[in-house]
Amino acid sequence: MEIILFKAILVLVLFLISLGIAAYSTYAERKVAAFLQDRIGPDRAGPFGLLQPIADGVKMFLKEEIIPNHSNRWLFILGPCIFMLTALMTSAVIPWGMPLEFNGTKYALQVADINIGILYIMGVLSVGVYGIMIGGWASNNKYALLGAIRGSSQMISYELAMGMSIISILLISDGSLSLSHIVESQKGMNWNVFYQPLGFLIFLICAFAEANRTPFDLPESESELIGGYHTEYSSMKLGLFLFAEYINMFISSTVISCLYFGGYQFPGLEYLSAHLPANLVSVISIGALFTKVFFFIFFFMWVRWTIPRFRYDQLMRLGWQVLLPLSIANMLITGGVITFFNL
Amino acid sequence: MESTIVFYLLSALSVISALFVVFSRSPIYSVLSLIVCFFTIAGHYIMLNAQFLAIIHIIVYAGAIMVLMLFTVMLLNLNKELGTHKFNLTKLMAVITGGLMFLVIIASVKSSSLANYQAPAYLNIGNAEDIGMKLFTDYLLPFEISSVLFVSAMISAVLLAKKEVK
Amino acid sequence: MNTLIYTSVLGFGLMVLEVLKLRKWISPAIILGLSLIFGINIHDWNQPGSYMGNMLEISNFTVAFNALAIFITLLIAMLASEYYSDEEHHISDYMAIMTFVLCGAQMMLGYANLVLFFIGIETLSISLYALSGSKRFDAKSNEAGFKYFLMGSFASGFLLFGIALMYGATQSFDLNKLAEYAMGTSVSPLFLTGLLLVLFALFFKVSAAPFHFWAPDVYEGAPSIITAFMSTLVKVVGFAAFYKFLHVFGYLIPVKFDWLITLVAILSLVTGNLSALAQENFKRLMAYSGISHAGYLLIGLVGAAAFPSSAILYYGLGYSLSTIGAFAIAMAVFKSTGSESISAFNGLGKKNPVLAACLTATMLGLAGIPPFAGFFGKFYIFSEAIQNGHFYLVLVGILSSMIGIYYYMKVVIAMYAKPANETKIEISLTNQLVMWLCLVLVLLIGIMPSLVTGLF
Repeated sequence: MEIILFKAILVLVLFLISLGIAAYSTYAERKVAAFLQDRIGPDRAGPFGLLQPIADGVKMFLKEEIIPNHSNRWLFILGPCIFMLTALMTSAVIPWGMPLEFNGTKYALQVADINIGILYIMGVLSVGVYGIMIGGWASNNKYALLGAIRGSSQMISYELAMGMSIISILLISDGSLSLSHIVESQKGMNWNVFYQPLGFLIFLICAFAEANRTPFDLPESESELIGGYHTEYSSMKLGLFLFAEYINMFISSTVISCLYFGGYQFPGLEYLSAHLPANLVSVISIGALFTKVFFFIFFFMWVRWTIPRFRYDQLMRLGWQVLLPLSIANMLITGGVITFFNL
Repeated sequence: MESTIVFYLLSALSVISALFVVFSRSPIYSVLSLIVCFFTIAGHYIMLNAQFLAIIHIIVYAGAIMVLMLFTVMLLNLNKELGTHKFNLTKLMAVITGGLMFLVIIASVKSSSLANYQAPAYLNIGNAEDIGMKLFTDYLLPFEISSVLFVSAMISAVLLAKKEVK
Repeated sequence: MNTLIYTSVLGFGLMVLEVLKLRKWISPAIILGLSLIFGINIHDWNQPGSYMGNMLEISNFTVAFNALAIFITLLIAMLASEYYSDEEHHISDYMAIMTFVLCGAQMMLGYANLVLFFIGIETLSISLYALSGSKRFDAKSNEAGFKYFLMGSFASGFLLFGIALMYGATQSFDLNKLAEYAMGTSVSPLFLTGLLLVLFALFFKVSAAPFHFWAPDVYEGAPSIITAFMSTLVKVVGFAAFYKFLHVFGYLIPVKFDWLITLVAILSLVTGNLSALAQENFKRLMAYSGISHAGYLLIGLVGAAAFPSSAILYYGLGYSLSTIGAFAIAMAVFKSTGSESISAFNGLGKKNPVLAACLTATMLGLAGIPPFAGFFGKFYIFSEAIQNGHFYLVLVGILSSMIGIYYYMKVVIAMYAKPANETKIEISLTNQLVMWLCLVLVLLIGIMPSLVTGLF
């Protein structure tokens, strides 16, 4: 019973953290942009503009909600819901830190330690396409449809290379598909990124494409498609789309940290867990994970304000003709090295 | 007990969504309910402790194939409700044949007893590792030879879709 | 086992040749390769064995039908090198897909496990769907490809469902285990339903009535070379697979499906022959003739005395050779006249007596007139059926072969009795070679049937 209660609380906390991080990502994005462009950025609401996301949220809620006459009403509402749902679902399999301890019982900081963790993430990602597609199609607007089709074909294409680079990780981490195993196998500084630099690069690029971030933000490229698949959306439904994108970015950063940068592991964790109380270690490990995550969120933003957008054919060529062959080669080389050197 | 309830719930959902695929007049709703149907089937896999199959089912069917279906429906702009549901001879015959087939299957399921059914001794079917072991030992030949099938299908697709070089 | 491996390697090799820009070597490569594979296959004669955990089983039955399948593909590849000579940039695709069809055929011939059987049937079918739709700017070809694909998918669905039910009843895909189960005392109704569904799928694949509705349209719309390929290889291989399947189950299970096969055989004979009477298009005529030949072969399946029966091999050989010979001539005529109807043959007897004589010979062979192989094929099948007491079935068979003579004669009459038109008929050397090869072989095994019937 207690374990169920704990999991429920964990889910709730994760939900809130995701939303909070998404909200403050918008703020961070504007601040980073301002910094990179030598501006000040939002500074009116609260000290340093810290209350800006809340003001934005309030604005979103208070706007008039418009459902276009010619749209398909149910699907129009369903689209953003699915997108948000899938964005939030991924966090279930991520190990967030060392276990907490209450009354002598250990509680793992992971909602579900299923033995197919990575595949679960891939599955949720592939289902996330539907949110964009349904939303874009239901708007009954050519720009929205184009954006939706661009978005979904881009996501499908980059999923392949992503999956292939994940296979190389499975090869070097005892073949377990469970994320907690993968994180545990990267004890100390034994991070996968050192063994899989190419795989990491491919995964990172694919993560950008999956999250629809610049330089791959063609689905919503405002200069040609107005707003892409969310052209017709307004008020909180638009908010859901935007929020979900930031949550996706957060989750992508988390997955990258877990797969390639040891998740909550850091050098000296074993020493600490031997000498400090379990709960403190747990909090420190969570901090370690979030440091990595925040770095990658920053990286996402950094790239966005540095690299221009791709053209669509370039995007497809990169995905199918460069990344996919490279990731297959990476997988073969990894397998070959393991076989020949009996690692 | 809970699992029985879940089973019946999932089964009801599968059947209803499958029926909706057939009876819906709008292609897009058909596709969407087919996706729901796939999810319920994935649920059945999970009930059978085959998580790997469940997730692969979702990735392959819901995540890839149905997206392509949705693409087709959207690009052909089949927004309008198609198909007049008139009751003509073809339909009558289809109903009769389909119904007979249904009857045969119901009858055979009903008259086969589960008493002497033994669950397979091998319980770890759901693991990726075990599936891999099976594929690379007992089913090595079909596994490898299906690459011929896929290559052939790929060449065929290219053959049919490639821009004609003049 | 080696045959299958080398055939797949050949298919991949053809694509490599295309990548290496050695396009003009593709046709020689496939002909040479298939000849080598033929030899490799013959090498397995009298060396039965099962491979890969009893997935694939090599017996004399498999080797003999494999040899037939490889030979058919070889002939078709020779014709194809001529047929596709003006479509250079696609030739590797066509040739590779044909080789993969052969791969599928070999899986269907050697399966000892239903999983391999399914993969084989799919490899064969999916490749053929694309091939029959491969004339992309021809609406009829598109229709053919699409129709074949839709109907074929249904049949595959039935097949898969049937296999699943059988697996549900027995928890095995292995043919031996399934047969063991079928011979046991308590056979689950699920198993029988599954068996029935698999039978339906097989009926579809060999285009037996009433599962034949796709055949005329597909045969008509597909490129002629593919029609020739489908009507020979798929039919023969389908029947061989069917035969193997029946031999494992059909004769063993308590509730026999003999009546069902008998019914389908009679329906095929009647529908095929009667519908063929009204056809004006040569390829449609061949489609209905194919349906009626499916009927004869089904008589062979019902009445087969022992496994393996050489009657079916003999019939398949005679039928395939006659059909390919006829198509070798017909394709030249179609190309010269630009028409595919029977009237395209008008006056061929005056314009090109040799061709007309050869086509007459193949038609007579198909109709079953001695001394061609068609006659002895029917003779063996009928006599085996009579020995097993299927008297009425044989009666229907004989009656329908009489009808058959009438519509095969339609082509012959067109050639000799109808006035000639101006178009000159040109036939290439390759087509002539294939034609003579087929004709000589049909005559040879017609005169000396023991060459084939003595095999097993």
